[in-house]
Amino acid sequence: MPKPHQGPAESDPAIRVRALEAILTEKGLIDPKALDALVDTYESKVGPRNGAKVVARAWVDPAYKQRLLSDATAAIKEFGFSGLQGEDMVVVENTPDVHNLVVCTLCSCYPWPTLGLPPVWYKSAPYRARAVSDPRGVLKEFGTELPETVEVRTWDTTAELRYLVLPERPPGTDDMTEDQLAELVTRDSMIGVTKAKAP
Amino acid sequence: MLLTPDMVPTVVATGASARVDAHVAPRFRVGDRIRVRNHNPTTHTRLPGYLRGKRGTIEQDYGVFAFPDTHAHGLGEKPQHCYSVRFTAREVWGPAASDRDTLRVDVFDDYMDPD
Repeated sequence: MPKPHQGPAESDPAIRVRALEAILTEKGLIDPKALDALVDTYESKVGPRNGAKVVARAWVDPAYKQRLLSDATAAIKEFGFSGLQGEDMVVVENTPDVHNLVVCTLCSCYPWPTLGLPPVWYKSAPYRARAVSDPRGVLKEFGTELPETVEVRTWDTTAELRYLVLPERPPGTDDMTEDQLAELVTRDSMIGVTKAKAP
Repeated sequence: MLLTPDMVPTVVATGASARVDAHVAPRFRVGDRIRVRNHNPTTHTRLPGYLRGKRGTIEQDYGVFAFPDTHAHGLGEKPQHCYSVRFTAREVWGPAASDRDTLRVDVFDDYMDPD
């Protein structure tokens, strides 16, 4: 029986993770302080603003965009964004004819150095199943409606490559600076569930 | 080796690529037609079940990587090529799917046969 006044119950995965962490710590296999440092890194230091800088640079600098599309890992490293879960990057470009969408159907693979940690919905079973089987339905739920003439290209990141979508530069942004453009680049637009924001 | 807090910045900055610096001949070339094997292990795999038996086309060769199916179980790296493979939505999901939409999935040599 749940007791009153104890707040919401912890979810099953949270309880399981806490139990695993306790056992691994007890056995001396992990240092919980190292885990805290890792979590802090991705909660407060690394996040989708990194990816937004990469995208904005690609929008204003055609030579950079070329490097980004031909060797994404090296081009992203020019900003100092590299390392864990970004060792082998691929950037896929949205065009008037192709809209790219990224999913990891097997788990939650995600490009940490450019986007930080994945949102909860990205890890959920419904997103993982439907991004491949009904991508247009998923896009619609994110408010993204695409004409039938556009190819929706879903990337299932099943192996060691990590994918970042290069959204299209929104119209009416010719006078904007690189920093202003970066503000239009959202996390969701770099996963591919939405377009970049309008100015 | 135990990960300690002082090691975290280095681990975060460098990561650990699963690429293997070995010369392994690719079994496929860009443009080759492939068929995914009916591969149903009870152990670790990176082949999504929805692709079993499906036909696709090699779009890009990403190079040589450790093979997760063996590597995850301590059975060696078994280095092999991993490719971006294109599948049409109709091939995977049937005639109700869009005739324009496609999937790109990262597929290892050992999951495929020539079609």
